Amino acid sequence: MAKYLLLRLADAIPTVFLVLVLVFIAMRILPGDPAVAALGDMATPEQLALFRERMGLNDPLWMQFFNFVKGVLTLDLGNSMMSNQNVVGLILYNLPYTIELTVVAMLLGLIMGVPLGVLAATNRNKAPDSAVRGFSLIGYAIPDFYLGALLLITFSLNLGWFPINGGGEGFAGRMYHVFLPALTLAFVKAAFIGRLTRTSLLEVLSKDYVRTARAKGAKESRVIYRHGLRNALLPLTTGLGLSTLATLSGSVAIEMVFNRPGIGKLLINAIAERDYAVIQGGVVVFAMFVVIINLLMDLLYIVVDPRIRMQ
Amino acid sequence: MSISRRGFLAATGAAAAGMAMYAVTSGRAFAQGEDALKVAFAARGLRTMDPFQSIQGVDNWAIIAIYDKLVDLPRWRFPDTQDELVPRLATSWSSSPDAKTWTLELRQGVQFHRGYGELTSADVKYTFDRATDGQRVGGVRAKFVNIDSTETDGDYRVIFNLKRPDPLFLLGVLSDYDAGILSAKAVEELGDESLGRDAVGTGVYMLETVHEDPSQGVTVVANPDYWDTKAATPKIHFRYIADTTARTLALLSGDVHIIEGVRSPGWADSMRQRDPNLIFDVVSPGSFFTIQFNLTKAPFDDIRVRQALFYGIDRDEITTAIAPISQRTYGLNPPSFPGGFNVDTIPEEVAYKYDPEKAKALLAEAGYPNGLSFPNDTSQREDFSAIMLMIQDQLRRINVDMQLNIKDHTAFHADQNIGTNALSQQSSAMPPVPTQVILTYLTAAGEVKADGSGGSNMSHYGVTIPGIDDLLNQALAEPDLDKRIAIVQQIEVQALKDAVILPVSNNGFMMVRSPKVDLGFEVESGYVNWHLSQATIS
Repeated sequence: MAKYLLLRLADAIPTVFLVLVLVFIAMRILPGDPAVAALGDMATPEQLALFRERMGLNDPLWMQFFNFVKGVLTLDLGNSMMSNQNVVGLILYNLPYTIELTVVAMLLGLIMGVPLGVLAATNRNKAPDSAVRGFSLIGYAIPDFYLGALLLITFSLNLGWFPINGGGEGFAGRMYHVFLPALTLAFVKAAFIGRLTRTSLLEVLSKDYVRTARAKGAKESRVIYRHGLRNALLPLTTGLGLSTLATLSGSVAIEMVFNRPGIGKLLINAIAERDYAVIQGGVVVFAMFVVIINLLMDLLYIVVDPRIRMQ
Repeated sequence: MSISRRGFLAATGAAAAGMAMYAVTSGRAFAQGEDALKVAFAARGLRTMDPFQSIQGVDNWAIIAIYDKLVDLPRWRFPDTQDELVPRLATSWSSSPDAKTWTLELRQGVQFHRGYGELTSADVKYTFDRATDGQRVGGVRAKFVNIDSTETDGDYRVIFNLKRPDPLFLLGVLSDYDAGILSAKAVEELGDESLGRDAVGTGVYMLETVHEDPSQGVTVVANPDYWDTKAATPKIHFRYIADTTARTLALLSGDVHIIEGVRSPGWADSMRQRDPNLIFDVVSPGSFFTIQFNLTKAPFDDIRVRQALFYGIDRDEITTAIAPISQRTYGLNPPSFPGGFNVDTIPEEVAYKYDPEKAKALLAEAGYPNGLSFPNDTSQREDFSAIMLMIQDQLRRINVDMQLNIKDHTAFHADQNIGTNALSQQSSAMPPVPTQVILTYLTAAGEVKADGSGGSNMSHYGVTIPGIDDLLNQALAEPDLDKRIAIVQQIEVQALKDAVILPVSNNGFMMVRSPKVDLGFEVESGYVNWHLSQATIS
């Protein structure tokens, strides 16, 4: 197992390095001077020069890249050019909010999506199936930031059930603050998972062993949940991996709409302010997420389908 | 690994259901009590608490709560004369006849926060030595460049020696947010860099927390040993909510008490419709919105084309659309500043009253009888884009097609600062010092440069055509305020005659507050940071 994990992590090294190169180049191509962004339009040339020197922006590009890679390897990503806060500290502060949003959204998406998919598959071409397909269509079509704003206005502003913004403190406060943003993302997830479950389950339900189970007189619920759904989980697991990554990127807009802390909001703000250090650090974290989630999905296959072996 | 499929699914479902139930049933138990006044600004996060490094105007709300100044504005307006300035850490002052030496007597017995001792003249000297030291953090702020030296005479007298006369030294330099007095002992102990996230002043509030999340901003608590009237509200939380919708909803839901308004047409009306009891406070003049015509770019090297656009832009229409924050300007200094022109005093030949027919005639005379088109950049920031889209529409009426390219604000300034724009736009708040806007936008030395190392003279005035540098030097050498103002007015008329810079409007800084909040004073004019020490929540 350890060897397998190490091999998979080694596979990810070229990917992460490529991300480092791309983000470094992208930052340097992007128009806008971080010194002007940090010090304002009225800064004097001396002040701008001092800032560039202090932030290493006058160094040759290769040296800046070398320092960046060295920083990633040593977990020293420098300080924010705007607030002078340690970048690793900023990431560590924001990361849990993004993780909790993604996790809760995925869980809620599963809770809503899987039963909907089963309902649709077991009522193929009937009213419940049409309703679920309609729901999926809406879920795919509606932008999550728009849905977020609608939920925010309805449940936070008009009904006062949820907070308007922020991330909350303590477990209870955090869950209270994350619920509505997570529900927003979960609607989209539920649409995806519901459709995926339906397709996958329909395929399984047409298999011979399902027909055999029915012929043997097994209860319909046993046929569906024991013989059908458990075998439909593998494609669902693959879809979950992709969906988790999509949720992660969707969290960027949701963190802005709900004004909650998180890596997405940190990145968006840093891009607007040309805060190279924070952007680079944030993108590295996102890249690592992709690697880790892919790895977790591979491991999950083993749990879900005993036929799969590491070889 | 011994997780079963059934166990995994059951645990997942149970965890999610538990969290959902908890979230729904926990209700609003987490709302803070009303002992804290909560204010939200339109920015992404606190940048610094160091008054001498601060460039984000809204950070200064917390800064002025913590640091006292030597003198201050009357609450809350720019005074008509310096005699109306309010003594704070300085109790009295005098200047030499040439306005180059200013002597201030300090208040005795004022204590710094956290036991850093009594304020003395050494702290004042330390503060301004740091402010004028180019090698120290933020020590290159232009407004302090005129201070030649700061001397002490005993523990409670400070003498400022200026390089050039400045009859408005108290108003233009000492009463702004970045003239807050530091504790020499605290800075030496904590270090220069620490001032970004720590603060030891003598103010009515003390720093409690600079939150780790920049958008959570800073919390200050009342100073129990304050030398003047104690704070009316025990705590203020200054937050940052850049997203307009989120900020608006935060106010409407009662999550915060005061928010920074939005400078776009219709926003104030929509807020009033939602809640007619909301109170709108607008401080004027706020930011000066000006347009500089690039004299090196054809066809704007022709004065007739420039004047045509001056006549073709309806500034009254713009200010009406962005009411209540926007006000007309006539000269470069707003009407509320010393010597600022108003509708009655602006000379007729440079008033440029909206006249599309005259604009068309000037274009025809310049060889553009069928109009012209040109590309131009603007910023996506709401005040820039709203004004420039209105101007684009107005110019169409005189057959001028301004092809607007709306850019991210940072990218917009990056390009404009290397002189690429035809009609450059600036929106800057300035102190009530009549020479400031001239120094910023019109001197030859401040000409924009292609490598970005130049200043904010985007028109190349004084370089491509004769400018106003000689007159400006005369003004800066003039110790008598009235005479200085007369020269400044002469400069403004010349620049307007040459049609190099169009003053469009002052866009006031607007805060919207819940009717539950009483500021303790009426806001009229002044800087874009207000004292909240006497604010109460009913």
